[in-house]
Amino acid sequence: MEKIDYKKLNFKCGIEIHQQLDGKKLFCNCPVKTNKKEIPDLIIKRKLRAVAGAEGKKDIAALYEEQKDKTFIYEFYQDCDCLVDIDEEPPRQINQEALEATLQLSLLLKAKILPKIKVMRKIIVDGSNVAGFQRTMLIATNGKIKTSKGIVKIPTIFLEEEAAKKISIVKNEVTYRLDRVGVPLIEIATSPDIKDSEHAKETASLLGMILRSIDLTKRGLGSIRQDVNLSIKNSPRIEIKGFQDLKSIPKVISYETNRLIKNPPKKDEVRKAEPDLTTTFLRPLPGSSRFYPETDHKEITIDKELLKNIKLPELIEEKTLKLEKNYNLPSELAKEIAKNKIHLETYIKKYKRISPLLIAQTLITTPKEIRTRFHITKKIKEKDFEFIFESLNKQKIPKDAIIDVLIGLLKNKTPNLNKYSSLSDKEIETTIEEIIAENQNAPFNALMGIAMEKLKNRVEGKKIAETIKKFL
Amino acid sequence: MMKISMLHTGGTVASFYDEKKGGVSSKYSPKDILKLYPEIKQIANIDSRLIGNMWSQDMNFKHYNLIAKEVEKEVKKGVEGIIITHGTDTLHYTSAALAFILENCPIPVILLGAQRSSDRGSSDAKLNLICACQFIANSKFQGVAICMHASTSDDACLILPPTKTRKIHSTRRDAFKAINSKPIARVTLQGNVGFIEKHNKSSTKQLKLKLIKENIKIGILKSHPNMFAEQILFYKNYDGLIIEAMGLGNLPTTKLDKNTQENEKILEALKKLSKKIPIILTLQTIFGRLNLNVYSNQRQYQEIGLLGHQTDTLTETAFIKLAWLLSNYKKEEIPKLINKNFRGEISSRTSLDFLDYVYS
Repeated sequence: MEKIDYKKLNFKCGIEIHQQLDGKKLFCNCPVKTNKKEIPDLIIKRKLRAVAGAEGKKDIAALYEEQKDKTFIYEFYQDCDCLVDIDEEPPRQINQEALEATLQLSLLLKAKILPKIKVMRKIIVDGSNVAGFQRTMLIATNGKIKTSKGIVKIPTIFLEEEAAKKISIVKNEVTYRLDRVGVPLIEIATSPDIKDSEHAKETASLLGMILRSIDLTKRGLGSIRQDVNLSIKNSPRIEIKGFQDLKSIPKVISYETNRLIKNPPKKDEVRKAEPDLTTTFLRPLPGSSRFYPETDHKEITIDKELLKNIKLPELIEEKTLKLEKNYNLPSELAKEIAKNKIHLETYIKKYKRISPLLIAQTLITTPKEIRTRFHITKKIKEKDFEFIFESLNKQKIPKDAIIDVLIGLLKNKTPNLNKYSSLSDKEIETTIEEIIAENQNAPFNALMGIAMEKLKNRVEGKKIAETIKKFL
Repeated sequence: MMKISMLHTGGTVASFYDEKKGGVSSKYSPKDILKLYPEIKQIANIDSRLIGNMWSQDMNFKHYNLIAKEVEKEVKKGVEGIIITHGTDTLHYTSAALAFILENCPIPVILLGAQRSSDRGSSDAKLNLICACQFIANSKFQGVAICMHASTSDDACLILPPTKTRKIHSTRRDAFKAINSKPIARVTLQGNVGFIEKHNKSSTKQLKLKLIKENIKIGILKSHPNMFAEQILFYKNYDGLIIEAMGLGNLPTTKLDKNTQENEKILEALKKLSKKIPIILTLQTIFGRLNLNVYSNQRQYQEIGLLGHQTDTLTETAFIKLAWLLSNYKKEEIPKLINKNFRGEISSRTSLDFLDYVYS
């Protein structure tokens, strides 16, 4: 692909990020969790129709018209849904934790927090919100971040409700699953200050790092979504959704920019980022003015007292540097610890006889190794890690045995630590002498192999090698 | 065998035909009842005694304290479960009262009654008694609950939550239903216990009685069309008032035209009364949750201090709770404590459970 001169093209680009929060849903006390049951506890059928509030707004009326014949089917699960989710009860009091997490973000982005927050209803006609609207509120304005290519402004920070997940479309019936509906979602949008495709990636990655520094942000697949808005001189505005990862952003943007140069569409469009880094048409961009007030919730006052109590989290970047410096951890390992919000200090304080590096490796590197080498994908429980650290700290197991004991624990076996109990120097020497006597003339490597097999998990390799060398 | 104490307070479960007065009277003795239902002796070692012989409609706060003290005596004696036979009409008031009074109850205290008197072959008392014994013998439950028919069949009972249950039929055997909540468990005649909600036993419970002051006066007023301000002001010498509001928390307080002038006076009366005593709103719809944010007139209620916003407490439970709060806490703490869940009386999430949700 030829090099694109973004400046000459009058390239305009902004990013929009949606980040889910953990804990409870935004307007009820249901827990945020992904449903794992196969059969829903209840199936509900609903219709949506045009409402008075939307009259006179041409685009909305038209959108409703398209949905006229559709029946929406909702899968309800008792453990993560309640009457608020199915529009059978007004919203409860706003989730204070989610609100405070959004205030944290606003402060991190140096945005101006609104003293009074009004909950609004944003009309959504595709059925993904049971009530026909999504609750959303503007929390702060005029934020900014510093990038290598200048300031990127963040004019708005919203807190809103997540939509239901679409499961299937069969003829006129659209099925949605309700576990996700109502989950708190932070929406931030930048101004079109992004200079080029690489700058877009840098900005998205910086914003992602800041978001993940907040304790309440949800992790895992689908918990963060990035959209890119772009245009060039005389082109319509294009919104690209569905980026799988940050790395693909520059390529998708340059592909899309080339498309706009060679074959510009006539109208604004929403497009999907495909795995092959091209984009495909999704729908026309909807018009604005689809908001009206949520009458079932009072205006929220953000007073000085509340703001005073908001503690700013340490950024992952800063935390990484601190871990590197304080504990001499390799940069990648320190970053993983910070990203996973692991309180390494607590472990270090509790298990004084284990090196910080070994603790960090056990928490980060070991699980990865178990996954790739032994194909065990089961998640290691906190109490299993504690067991390992406890055993290491009391020197009941050598560090070489960590993986072996963890795999045992993952298979729900009660570990027999006797087989790892360390041997005295005398016992090691006796064993090695025996091995040498039985394998006369065997080279060092062969002896090492036999000794390792025999003393596996009980004596560290280095010690075995030293002992063999002593007797050869 | 497990040691269970059966405390009798009267009611239909202990009644039979009264030749003098006509109709049935509460007069079976504890021994008579054990004789009527010999099966229960095979489930547990039952000690039975009379602590009252009355209809439940005649009860008051004194009786709740009396029953609670008797429960305390039995707990101190070391029994492993208590069954209380009781008239059904106010059974759910008593269960709520005992749930609040008996803090950290270490053993099961199961209330039951009958909708058909024990002098009939068809009495529902038998299944309720057996299931209560079975439940105590075959579970590790702690605390107060109600045991009554799960359906109109004589095959299983429901163990119902003490602060979230109401009698919603005048005559049926399965008149008691969990409201805005699930039953705790289902018990069959044969003694199979299926817990519907998780129940965790704690081993370190120390029973403490938090009694209700017997001279406290709480009123219950049901709102309705064509109301008058004087109905509100009637309660000015009471210690607290429960108002069953309409819908999700509405009262006739809006003056629309000359025909609705009284409504303005009602609002004034509420304003005046709520400065003096706590006023709690509950639902006359029975099911659902109060929400005083939806209609603009309701937001005024919050401003003038009417309580109950976002709660789903039953009227009967709210009545007992208010009396208990006024007996054990400072009056100025009431607004905060009304929204605090002490004994499961407020559910944090509004579930699907409704009339069509069957656990029988």
